[in-house]
Amino acid sequence: GAWPRVAMEASELWVGFVGAGRMAGGLVRGLLQAGKVPASNIVASAPSDKNLDAWRELGCRTTHCNLEVVHRSTLVFLATKPHILPGVLEEIRPAVGSHHIVVSLVAGVTIQTLQRLLPPWTKVLRIMPNLPCVVQAGAMVFSRGSNAGDEEAALLKSLLSSCGLCEEVPESYIDIHTGLSGSGVAYVYLFAEALAEGAVKMGMPGALASRIAAQTLLGAAKMLLETGEHPAKLRGDVCTPGGTTIYALHQLEKGALRATVMDAVEAATNRACDMAKD
Amino acid sequence: MSVGFIGAGQLAFALARGFTAAGVLAAHKITASSPDTDLPTVSGLRKMGVNFTVSNKDTVKSSDVLFLAVKPPIIPFILEEVGPDIEARHIVVSCAAGVTISSIEKKLSTFCPTPKVIRCMTNTPVIVREGATVYATGTHADVEDGKLLEQLMASVGFCTEVEEDLIDAVTGLSGSGPAYAFTALDALADGGVKMGLPRRLAVRLGAQALLGAAKMLLESEQHPGQLKDNVCSPGGATIHALHFLESGGFRSLLINAVEASCIRTRELQHLADREQISPAAIKKTLLDKVKLESPSLSVASSSKVSLFTKKSKQN
Repeated sequence: GAWPRVAMEASELWVGFVGAGRMAGGLVRGLLQAGKVPASNIVASAPSDKNLDAWRELGCRTTHCNLEVVHRSTLVFLATKPHILPGVLEEIRPAVGSHHIVVSLVAGVTIQTLQRLLPPWTKVLRIMPNLPCVVQAGAMVFSRGSNAGDEEAALLKSLLSSCGLCEEVPESYIDIHTGLSGSGVAYVYLFAEALAEGAVKMGMPGALASRIAAQTLLGAAKMLLETGEHPAKLRGDVCTPGGTTIYALHQLEKGALRATVMDAVEAATNRACDMAKD
Repeated sequence: MSVGFIGAGQLAFALARGFTAAGVLAAHKITASSPDTDLPTVSGLRKMGVNFTVSNKDTVKSSDVLFLAVKPPIIPFILEEVGPDIEARHIVVSCAAGVTISSIEKKLSTFCPTPKVIRCMTNTPVIVREGATVYATGTHADVEDGKLLEQLMASVGFCTEVEEDLIDAVTGLSGSGPAYAFTALDALADGGVKMGLPRRLAVRLGAQALLGAAKMLLESEQHPGQLKDNVCSPGGATIHALHFLESGGFRSLLINAVEASCIRTRELQHLADREQISPAAIKKTLLDKVKLESPSLSVASSSKVSLFTKKSKQN
């Protein structure tokens, strides 16, 4: 039936987080940074104060009671650890109404599972962010459950675009996103570390090498995103005939870097699928 | 215009076949020579209507454009032999890998003050008029001489002028390139046969796939990486296969191959520059001929033959 039309204006939106860990913290910082939702409209729950202190410092409200978050919010983010979630859902289920929008950040928990453990009318969405949401340069994908419509998807997208790239996808892409970008951030850290080590070997101080390595990755990524050119073309543009770059690239090809990276994405994706089945 | 080939092997045959098929030259305007009349290409050339002779001197006399289509170690012998017959009108085109313009000009200058020399690197698909050719002009070759060669070679494929110092790289890439392609095609066909295709069909389809891909690339503005992506549907067959190629270091193998061929070409050039050639590199008939004409050369007692030293070597 028609429920009272709660204002979808972001400034009047009440947002809750069940779980206040690192990923939730990243999203809330993004929301606040973008000025979409005032801190006073945000409430988070966690079993201990350990994480909640930081939220209070941001101006958000905090509680140890998950039900309170659900009562006080329209948009509820579920940000617990996977093994905690079933218990939490059982706890909050009685308080979930048709006006709620429930967005799960919980890795490996499918929309099917969420819908099974929540009332049948619940609008459910599932999102997979990545760590750089914390600095508003995240990559997030989300999928909608059976009761979530265009309005809910649009709301989520508009709120979270402040944290980075936010795209709706079929649920089957979420595990792939984990392998590509969720875990992918770690691959980049590894690559940055190795770049810097190479420079240190050649005589550059470590701290400087690390900063330059990071800036190199940032700059290259920025060019990719802004020019829209194929990475192979951008790579070719850097390679002067017989120059330093092509010599280095040859080493990378000899090491089968491409295949190794493909293996990594595949392994993480498969692991995400396996874990979801548990 | 008449064209001559010193040497009647694969290269002479391929070029002659290409030129005649393209209609830029009538077969009877082509002469080819070789001391070895048993070569299979010799009968092929004859069947084409090309004038065949055992006398290199005759070839020179009846040509305007003279292709040196012999193996690199033989070049110095040839230049010594036909040098006296080279005139100002001749355009001497060397197709020998690793043989520099300056080494040719140096040899010929004892006979002719301003020899027109062009160095060229082509490849076997000239035979089907899909060759890849580059050329560099020597000190006394004019722009028109280069353009004339370019016209000839463009009739049998792609042809462009380059700086001489790039020719070794071209050798590694498109000179040897057809061999890489033949190897790939053989293996692709094996893959097809393994999965149940008859061999002939597998070869035909593999070749057509590479031909089509190459044509797409040549006609497209897009980067090969983009064209590759266009074939790879998410989670599909092709991307699975490509992963295997990457795991095997496919790209680096190809880079290694081009590099190895280029480096070897330079090595051979350095050997030639030092005028040190192993007898094994020279065919026996020619070696006998050398011994007959230059009794001062002692081959048996040294591991290397020294070519054209003015003083006789005593070992």
